[in-house]
Amino acid sequence: MNEKQVIDSLTKFIIRHKTREDEFDTLALQIFEYQFNNNLPYQRFCRQRETTPKTVQSWKSIPAVPINAYKSLTLSCCRPEDIKRTFMTSGTTGDELRGKCHHPTLSVYDTSMITAFKARFMPDLKTIRMGILFPTENEMPNSSLAHYLALAYSNFGSDGSQYFITTEGVSLEKLFAELERAEKNSEPYALLGASYSFVHLIDQMEKSNQTIQLPKGSRILDTGGFKGQSRELDLDDFYERLSERFSVPRASCVNMYGMTELSTQFYDNGNQICPSKKSGPHWIRSQVINPATGIPTPKGERGILVHCDLAHFNCVATIQTEDIGIEIDNGFLLLGRAKGAEAKGCSMAVAEFLKIAQG
Amino acid sequence: MTLNLGYFQGIESSTTEWKTLSFDRGRGAIEVAVPVLSETQLKSLCTRVKKMSQTYLKTIPVSDLVNIIDTTISSFLDRTNPYRQQAEDLLPRITGYDPEMIRLGLTSYLKTFRKVELNRFLSEDFSNPKILDEFQPLPKGGLGRAYGPDLLFHIWAGNVPGLPIWSLVSGLLVKAGNIGKVSSAEPLMASLFSKLLAEIDPKLGECIAIVWWEGGQNKWEEVLLKQADLVLAYGNNDTLRQIRNRTPITTRCLTYGHKISFGMISRSALDTGKSWTTAHQAAYDIVRYDQQGCYSPQIFFVEEGGAVSPEQFAQFLARELENFENKFPSRSLTIEEASSVASWRQSEELKAFSEEKRAFLADPNGRWSVSYSETAGEIYPSGLNRTIQVFAVGSLREVPSIVKPYKAFLQTVGIAASPEELIQLASQLGAIGVTRISALEHMTTPEAGWHHDGRFNLLDLVTVTEVERTAETAAEAFSDYVD
Amino acid sequence: MKFNKQIVLVTGSSRGIGAAIAKAFAAEGATVIINYIKNSAAAIETAEKCKELGGSAKIIQADVSSGEQIQKLIDEILQDFSKIDILVNNAFKPYIFDSENRKQFHETSWNDYQEQLDGVLFSSYTLCQTILPIFKKRTKGNIINIASDLVARPTIPYHDYMTAKAALIGFSRNLAMEVGQFGIRVNCVAPGLVYPTDGSMNTKEGLKELIINQTPLRRIAAPEDVAGPVLFLASSWSGFITGQTLYIDGGLVMR
Repeated sequence: MNEKQVIDSLTKFIIRHKTREDEFDTLALQIFEYQFNNNLPYQRFCRQRETTPKTVQSWKSIPAVPINAYKSLTLSCCRPEDIKRTFMTSGTTGDELRGKCHHPTLSVYDTSMITAFKARFMPDLKTIRMGILFPTENEMPNSSLAHYLALAYSNFGSDGSQYFITTEGVSLEKLFAELERAEKNSEPYALLGASYSFVHLIDQMEKSNQTIQLPKGSRILDTGGFKGQSRELDLDDFYERLSERFSVPRASCVNMYGMTELSTQFYDNGNQICPSKKSGPHWIRSQVINPATGIPTPKGERGILVHCDLAHFNCVATIQTEDIGIEIDNGFLLLGRAKGAEAKGCSMAVAEFLKIAQG
Repeated sequence: MTLNLGYFQGIESSTTEWKTLSFDRGRGAIEVAVPVLSETQLKSLCTRVKKMSQTYLKTIPVSDLVNIIDTTISSFLDRTNPYRQQAEDLLPRITGYDPEMIRLGLTSYLKTFRKVELNRFLSEDFSNPKILDEFQPLPKGGLGRAYGPDLLFHIWAGNVPGLPIWSLVSGLLVKAGNIGKVSSAEPLMASLFSKLLAEIDPKLGECIAIVWWEGGQNKWEEVLLKQADLVLAYGNNDTLRQIRNRTPITTRCLTYGHKISFGMISRSALDTGKSWTTAHQAAYDIVRYDQQGCYSPQIFFVEEGGAVSPEQFAQFLARELENFENKFPSRSLTIEEASSVASWRQSEELKAFSEEKRAFLADPNGRWSVSYSETAGEIYPSGLNRTIQVFAVGSLREVPSIVKPYKAFLQTVGIAASPEELIQLASQLGAIGVTRISALEHMTTPEAGWHHDGRFNLLDLVTVTEVERTAETAAEAFSDYVD
Repeated sequence: MKFNKQIVLVTGSSRGIGAAIAKAFAAEGATVIINYIKNSAAAIETAEKCKELGGSAKIIQADVSSGEQIQKLIDEILQDFSKIDILVNNAFKPYIFDSENRKQFHETSWNDYQEQLDGVLFSSYTLCQTILPIFKKRTKGNIINIASDLVARPTIPYHDYMTAKAALIGFSRNLAMEVGQFGIRVNCVAPGLVYPTDGSMNTKEGLKELIINQTPLRRIAAPEDVAGPVLFLASSWSGFITGQTLYIDGGLVMR
């Protein structure tokens, strides 16, 4: 297949309502072949694993590139001059290498996002008045999250929807004015943004003892992790406080699990219990594997999450994350990041060494 | 029935709290109970051990101690002994290591503490070991006597089975009272050893206690740090730093931090006859305890120009690691350990196909990997658990300058080279802080009296009280037979 | 499916013993490389059969008496599959087995011997040289050479050909000795008379009867009889066997 055929097949597959497992498999293998032939570093990676399109029979055997590879390699099928948009991972220190994902077109990304968002966050409404707690796409052109939220805003935001954060900071006055207005209105309101933005917001509101009673049907979407805090312990606490401050039931507080290195997102059905079950649309599949052996762990046991995202056609569809998860029926639980092991014996391990070496 | 570990006298088991530790490393799940003494109980234990050390231990000659320890060790070496059998049964389940590896490792390690070897420990540090019993003439004149601490507090690390026995025996030889905190990862050997010793000599048993508490800074550690005369700790730099900071300034604190050890292979060991044996010996050091020891190799430097090339050597090594899966199958790793291995492997794999002159050989099931590079670049640890780096060098003489920046982490170097090369390399390596040079296959089996990190096992534990010549001379005038 | 996902190269496998071996591997899930010189129709047919049996196959034309063509053959396999697991050296220069009109010793020139050495050993030698670096890089590999039971007992002395086959056995043993430490195994199978093959099409009935009379299992081998032992030597069931020669002749020779 060439790029155009890949895009066509993908788009058709995404907008269908129901698909079979073997259809996913077929398309996955076609996209694998396309990426093997056109993404040379990925081809070399596959050959190192003694795998070629002729030796793979199922999407589960497609070599998963480790997420860190995006930092040191250019993983792209299209020519540099055909790149339309590049999303980059956020580096926490200035000189850290940032992973890059190049897109020759955002049509597939957008179709993927819009189709899944509609099904998972807006099943009951066509549009909703929304507030975005994240800078605009123009301010952050390399942020996939900025683009995601921009798509939400432009496709599903009704009149009066606004952004409340710029790269300078959050406009609290504007935000609360809008929230108070929403309170008095009887129409549902939606707040979407980065999880850590919500944390700051709730902190602020708790300090000044503010609550907002958003109308029935209102909903919240958070994403992106808490930047360094322990995810497992704080989740329950976070959603309890979030629900309390905005009078939005926890069942309507949806968490979106996505990353720069994918073109599709996972959602849960609210966070009444934490951690919540996450699942994705029919064009993405996940496995939980033992990171040392690559073999899937028995269902119910912890392992590392591997995602096969057909929509991510220009880079590498199958990625091995550093996220720990457990497979459950029709989805998985996300349990946090895999930290390196501390050496329990007396031999120095990499993590400790790096700490010392970096001074 | 859950086995109670730890060991102490003078405190009622029934009034003690116990914590259950569960292990499931792929060789059968097991639970053991470790004691969590209260602060009060700990304080009284300290007092008791100190007292016994003063009133009993310090009054018996070192040679008696050697005999008691030797008897204990002989029992442990006897495979029909119930304690030995318990160790052979439980250690694989607790640590995950292969039972064969444990059995062979235990025997080899315990042999280091037989009578002849114990005397080696003594004579390595003391030209006249009687100095531990009574005042002896000093080479400089006058008299001296070496005193071990009344209370030596050990903080032990986990994954090399039996590690605590080394410092425990050292402490006993200098007549110290010992209280040791075992690691959650391996609480068994110190407990069994102490129990067995106490059966052989109950009074000596009162000079030892094996305790446990949850890791991290806490009140129990405070008690011991304040009560001990000397602290001896194994761990990573962060842990050691905070232990040292919390130890009173008047108490000495000996620390053993994490190390990187490596091997050097000369072209003289790489002819078509000997090279396989060299690879076999190198692999043995890698698989023994899965590189958890400070002396375990994480890197091999291989000289070019032999009949067998460094790349070929790396292939032999890979093959040997595979063969060792038959003799000593890998243990199953925790998800954190598996992630560490995976992330090291991924990083090496990525280098292998983006840089020239590299190769990455790995078991498809992830049980071992060899990362080969034609040029020795930056040095850093391997992923441990049977992951190894092989670097080709034009000459072994290049190696010291490559590893020099990491002086603080260097410890053991295993060398396969001619006698002349050995001496020449030894002086280069000594100059950059390497403290032990051994043969291949013996990097992970240090001999009795080994200067751990270049230190002195027994001397570091004692203070010497000297009676100066002036005192002796002056006293002469006051004798009743003075002329 | 003992050979699932394994890549097996069988030289000279468009028909006869080679084809039987290829099909047997395919039935166990392998991907077989069917190598042939001229008979592409037969090669295609064998490949189709392999797919029907549950494996997969690729046909590659190459004359394994040419070093250059051997390199091309190996390169093409690696391009498609990135690895080779097993090599079966089955192709040899055609030899005419005519018990009634064979060359006697005084008629056999040194050149005849030389030609057979070239015909029998050269391709095995060159294939091994080419493939071993690949095997060494993954520290495993499996080589099976086809010898003959006439080496052990020359029922009919075909001087030049069988001397070369005897050399092949010595070659295999020495190679096994050296590459064992890389995890690579080298073994031989030594069939007796196999019928029907190109070489045995004209064997006289009288000779066949003679052989059957002396064979404990009272029959002549079929090509399929050779396949089983080859698969055994290629599988992990023989994981601790190397440098051996397995005689496949119903017990005619016992070693």
